Amino acid sequence: MNRTVEPRTPAGVVPAAVVAGARGRVRTRRRVMAVARPYLYILPTFLFLFVFTHYPILKTFYLSLFKWNLATPKMKFIGLGNYVQAWSTPLFWQVLQNNVLFAVGTIPISLALALVLALLINQKVRGLAIYRAALFYPTIIPMAAAAMIWLWILTPSYGLVNFYGKALGLPDIHWLGHSRFALAALILVGIWKRVGYYMVIFLAGLQVIPEHLYEAAILEGASPWQRFWRITLPLLSPTTFFVAIMAVIDSFQAIDQVYLMTQGGPGNNTNLFIFYIYQNAFRFFDMGYASAVSGILFLILLGLTVLAFRMLHRRVHYA
Amino acid sequence: MRSRPLWRLTVHGLLLLAGLVIVVPFLWIALTAFKERNEIFSLIPQWLPAHPTLQNFWGVLDAMPFWRYYWNTLVVAFGLLGVQLITITLAAYAFARMEFWGRDVLFILLLVQLMIAPQSTAIQNYVTIVNLGLLDTRLAIMAPYLASAFGTFLLRQTFKGIPKELEEAASLDGCGGLRFLAYIAVPLAVPGYLAFALVSLTYHWNEFFWPLVITETSKARTLTLGLGIFAQTAEGAADWTMLMAATLMVVAVPLLLFLVFQRRFINSFMQSGLGG
Repeated sequence: MNRTVEPRTPAGVVPAAVVAGARGRVRTRRRVMAVARPYLYILPTFLFLFVFTHYPILKTFYLSLFKWNLATPKMKFIGLGNYVQAWSTPLFWQVLQNNVLFAVGTIPISLALALVLALLINQKVRGLAIYRAALFYPTIIPMAAAAMIWLWILTPSYGLVNFYGKALGLPDIHWLGHSRFALAALILVGIWKRVGYYMVIFLAGLQVIPEHLYEAAILEGASPWQRFWRITLPLLSPTTFFVAIMAVIDSFQAIDQVYLMTQGGPGNNTNLFIFYIYQNAFRFFDMGYASAVSGILFLILLGLTVLAFRMLHRRVHYA
Repeated sequence: MRSRPLWRLTVHGLLLLAGLVIVVPFLWIALTAFKERNEIFSLIPQWLPAHPTLQNFWGVLDAMPFWRYYWNTLVVAFGLLGVQLITITLAAYAFARMEFWGRDVLFILLLVQLMIAPQSTAIQNYVTIVNLGLLDTRLAIMAPYLASAFGTFLLRQTFKGIPKELEEAASLDGCGGLRFLAYIAVPLAVPGYLAFALVSLTYHWNEFFWPLVITETSKARTLTLGLGIFAQTAEGAADWTMLMAATLMVVAVPLLLFLVFQRRFINSFMQSGLGG
């Protein structure tokens, strides 16, 4: 209603407060409102954000400095003890290694596939909508449902994969019970679930590359292969980069499929970060240690995000 | 030159291959759901059910409180969306069109929500929920998401695009402040709201881990979690046809909506980059 009053600094309000009389008071109230309004607008968001995002982050680091578990129900300050414990626990390192393997197994393949599929879809072939829907639908179904689908498909003896595997002369494999293949199975599910989503992000990136660049390249006799390496890929690099970071963060958030398909087994071969935190917090009730592992995960993801933005920055300047 | 028949054939061939690899698993479980129980234990897979039956679906309804889960899911997903629409509208409007002290710092504090894995704050949020006396309630499932950095970010972009002159003209006509927001800014941002709504509904329909942590009984449990728990009970684990029927029942409605409004869904997720 009084949008014309431009709040510059809260200090600008003070002189108005000394104005006497009813008119002055109204004006003062209006000025106070004008200053307070943006804060009132963001208040609900920041109330929830503080309670459920900022505070828990701080509290996690705080709790990570305490011994707090079934054996020590009364919190006891132990400094970096929980971090030292993580450092000297082989399982912690195995979980880290599992998660890195999971990321390395999932990301390059899904990104490459997603890019190829995006390029193919971008050819504007007939039936495009059908192909796109077929490739994208796993994005909108729950990971829990995807886990059920693949549990059944990977079942020993009666599962589809083993049937056709046997037809090709492979042995009957208990995929999820096998120390070597269980993580590979989770990687497969991860790729299957996410490739369509990454493809769509690539499509968005492809569609903003100016057509005239290709026209000029064709005039100069560039082959499709050259056009891909000299135009498409370089101009797509911010998208690629963005998708890659998103994929890394995804891979460190993976939990549903671990919980439902392997419970981290066999022999902790598929125990990933969030599942490890879950186990320690809610099965062993070792809250202090679980907080320390959460803290480490924060730092890993924060490091990756910062690295991402730095590299992106450089790339933008470079371009 | 891209329209050479051989090239087109290759493109179709590759897309068809990829599409089949993605679709066949779903097709397989969908067909399994209509089979009789003993039919699946054949060593040569039978694609079509020999005697199509609905008994698996009835079995699911007997074995788990399916409608209870459905109701909980609807309440959580839509209730949450309702609150989010209010919080993100107000915050996005302030960040897009108002000058205030500390704005940029506050905006970065908002974006922190996008940078962390929500699963990694689960322990402390669990403690908070217990202290608030909200354990095992639908409100607890919604709580960590009542503010949405993604939604605020998305709407802020839209609100920023509204010309200043429009706002000034409206203000002169007595349509300033909240009125401008309600009658002009919000209607102009409908595509943004739609994109946010689809992503938010899908995400919370599908969410598994946080409901798992924060619920103890079927009182507040959502569908996806119910499916996961059913799979781990003796009844579910031993019975593939019933488990596949349950899976199909959980995904049926969202999947149908996706097939009908494909373009909208995909465009929304295109914008979601950070939100998924």
